[in-house]
Amino acid sequence: MSIQEHYRSRAKELLSAGTVKMVIGYGAGSTPDRRRPVFITSPDEADRLVLDTTCRTNLSGYLLREGLLSDQKQVAVFLTVDGIRSLNVLAAESQLDTSQVLVFGFGIEGDQARAIEGERAADFKSVIAAAKEQRKSQPADELQEKLEAMTPKERFSFWEGEFSRCIKCYACRQACPMCWCRRCVVDNNQPQWVNTSSHTLGNLEWNLLRAFHLAGRCVECGNCSRACPADIPLHLLNRRMADEVQASFDHYPGMDEAQEPVLASFRKDDPETFIL
Amino acid sequence: MAKIGVFVCHCGENIAAKVDCTKLTAAMESHPGVSIATEYKYFCSDPGQESIKKAIVEQGLTGVIVAACSPRMHEATFRKACAAAGLNPYLCEIANIREQCSWVHSDGDEATEKAIEITRSLVEKVKRNNELQPILVPVTKRALVIGGGIAGIQAALDIANAGGEVVLVEREASLGGHMAQLSETFPTLDCSQCIMTPRMVEAAQHPNIRLLTYAEVEKVEGFIGNFHVRVKMKARYVDMYACTGCGDCIQKCPQKKISAEFDCGLANRPAIYTPFAQAVPNKPVIDRQHCTYFKNGKCKVCQKVCQTNAINFDMEDEYLDLEIGAIVVATGFQIQNTSLYGEYGYGRYPDVVTGLQFERLASASGPTGGRIARPSDGKEPETVVFIQCAGSRDPSKGVSYCSKICCMYTAKHAMLYAHKNHHGTSRVFYMDIRAAGKGYDEFTRRAIEEDGAGYIRGRVSKLWEENGKLMVRGVDTLLGRPVEVPADMVVLATAMVPQPDAKEFAKTLGIGCDEYGFFNEAHMKLRPVETATAGIFLAGACQSPKDIPDSVAQASAAASKVLALFSREKLEREPIIAMNNEATCSGCWGCVLACPYNAIEKKDITDRAGNLIRRVASVNPGLCQGCGTCVTFCRSNSIDLAGFTEKQIFAEVMGL
Repeated sequence: MSIQEHYRSRAKELLSAGTVKMVIGYGAGSTPDRRRPVFITSPDEADRLVLDTTCRTNLSGYLLREGLLSDQKQVAVFLTVDGIRSLNVLAAESQLDTSQVLVFGFGIEGDQARAIEGERAADFKSVIAAAKEQRKSQPADELQEKLEAMTPKERFSFWEGEFSRCIKCYACRQACPMCWCRRCVVDNNQPQWVNTSSHTLGNLEWNLLRAFHLAGRCVECGNCSRACPADIPLHLLNRRMADEVQASFDHYPGMDEAQEPVLASFRKDDPETFIL
Repeated sequence: MAKIGVFVCHCGENIAAKVDCTKLTAAMESHPGVSIATEYKYFCSDPGQESIKKAIVEQGLTGVIVAACSPRMHEATFRKACAAAGLNPYLCEIANIREQCSWVHSDGDEATEKAIEITRSLVEKVKRNNELQPILVPVTKRALVIGGGIAGIQAALDIANAGGEVVLVEREASLGGHMAQLSETFPTLDCSQCIMTPRMVEAAQHPNIRLLTYAEVEKVEGFIGNFHVRVKMKARYVDMYACTGCGDCIQKCPQKKISAEFDCGLANRPAIYTPFAQAVPNKPVIDRQHCTYFKNGKCKVCQKVCQTNAINFDMEDEYLDLEIGAIVVATGFQIQNTSLYGEYGYGRYPDVVTGLQFERLASASGPTGGRIARPSDGKEPETVVFIQCAGSRDPSKGVSYCSKICCMYTAKHAMLYAHKNHHGTSRVFYMDIRAAGKGYDEFTRRAIEEDGAGYIRGRVSKLWEENGKLMVRGVDTLLGRPVEVPADMVVLATAMVPQPDAKEFAKTLGIGCDEYGFFNEAHMKLRPVETATAGIFLAGACQSPKDIPDSVAQASAAASKVLALFSREKLEREPIIAMNNEATCSGCWGCVLACPYNAIEKKDITDRAGNLIRRVASVNPGLCQGCGTCVTFCRSNSIDLAGFTEKQIFAEVMGL
């Protein structure tokens, strides 16, 4: 049985038994290589679920829809390792209760999607630990290497160029499962710290601010870059922050739901290299 | 409509010599919203304050800027003046044009320009300031005194005698602390037990004091006037109410060879014991670590001989939760580990003892009944060498500070020795004599001139045994040559150090301590008994080395602070605290983790039927210290600081 069939029948089983009230998964999109999220609530709709190598979006953000989890019922959701990590971060930040979430875990290897064993967030500890180790040895992508080689001035003008295309549509914010604030700081107008118009300075402010707000929290799912209509490689900003956080504090966000946020916790052996 | 008054202070020459105050005043006069701008030589003087008050009333000012010195210096002065004129004091701001301007810039034009910018930015801020009201919090009129030595007892008695309620917690089985171990006390040579035990009994029997011995403070939460304290009552295995203190169990305990802590290892005790004869309460405890029953499951001799069935081996630690208004910390000190000085042979030669051991030898209630005898053979030593500063004033090995009491107690030891052994010789190696208290210098002179103590100014480098004598080699720096003294006994005046767990305990209390572990006072000179945490006070040697008179004086000072606190029904606190916008708070609890004062609580938001809708952060105004850590942490800017709101700071920045 293919993994797609496996999860379709599991979805049917859970929905018929009433174990879950909804399955959040991937469905066919507007073109053959595109997927869109589907929200399945009855067993006979389960055949709309698709799982293949084009299923890239991290769906965990949909769990935060107001009221979805307020009735204590369970929801199943398709998640990769990154997605499960984001689930743990959301739980650590008190945004959801993992006991209400059933995970349909999968990974993409080469030209195939493969299921991961386990159904509860806590079941994936070893998978996440392996991902942490793998990240350390993972080579940086080409563009990132190019950026690292630049002088600060060159890098600044690179990002200036990239951000000049930003149209402040906030699609990155909408797509990011970690952008769950009830009111985003950029929507503040009393006082207005960040300019709303899409000129270069305001764009720079917004994108850097978002990167800083994700420091120690980003699971590098890539939703931001995929969502950006201006093709800005936003994930590279977050990747750089994640590198720093991992190198400085050995912190890999989303290890489990008890993990303390790196910027609000204190350990006696924290490095203090930044204190002169 | 804003009506701001700007008052430019010359601070004599301090500001006016550099900053063009007239130009600054003129610039402010024309700034939008400013009704009046004036300059004056000293606004902090009476006529200066009067002119501010007059302007507030006459012009109907809605805000005041005093461009002057640091707000640390005179913010309170000017706020008070504003309040006296009917303006809310939080509508008064200080523009620091002295420390931040005239004192740090050499160019007058630039300094003037900067002074204008600083003042203008604050005018913009003050336009957005709100009237703030002081926060009132109730006071629980019950004090916790931690430590039952002389400092703790004194503080407890002073508070209790003034009518306050006191809980006195001591971690040992009896009150008394180190003072109970001493023989005679300088500079009057009255017997320590004679003046200490009546105090111990008074504390134990005082109707306002609840005495908890063999107990430790586990957790301290809350804030001034409203602390929540958890005390662990360690299992004594002896029922305090049933026990009559007859001592049969102590007599019959088969374990006899446990080194007695109270006698500094010079005597033994059984597994069930009272620390010393005059212990208060005079009821034994079982030392679980050494008890045969707890080790092997057999024995229970004490239980068999007990007439009142007071022994209970099933007893467990118990926890007491107390509501406390103020805390006095009097946890005392320890003496430094003498193994630091291998060359002095402590531990290797039984006749090398510490000052505290000598106290036990000299004490009438000690292991020798007050006869000064060598631990090795019980003979009276004919020559005793005292080595001062064994660990103190020695940054390379010991501690840098002076232990303060050693000069005095060494003089006392030499004197006691001379009084008990008229033929004996005593030699004191000293660095210099520090005897600055009342009657202290006279005391050391007496030791030297009347009781024949031979003082040698210099350090001891080496100590070894030869023909049954302890050979002490040192240097006499006044004669400029090495000396060698054959001794029968050597006494080390070891450094006074904090309790080994002092740093940990400071964290439990939420107070600071220095590099050694002595607790820090709020201000060395002006607030010596307060800690930086409101409502927690210090007494005795837990703060720094202290003798008995100093400890007692500080304990009474701490008690007076507690009583001043208890004299009020409500406490007034600065209203500069964090405020959370519940509408935008997402309840991530980052602020809860970030808050160093545990001032943020989780609050449920429910609908009319009581169903939980969501949870948000809520700031406890009594606990919040207004540090702003939560404000910087909150990603969604939901938390703001009263008096320093985002809006005010933004205006200040834009005013530059």
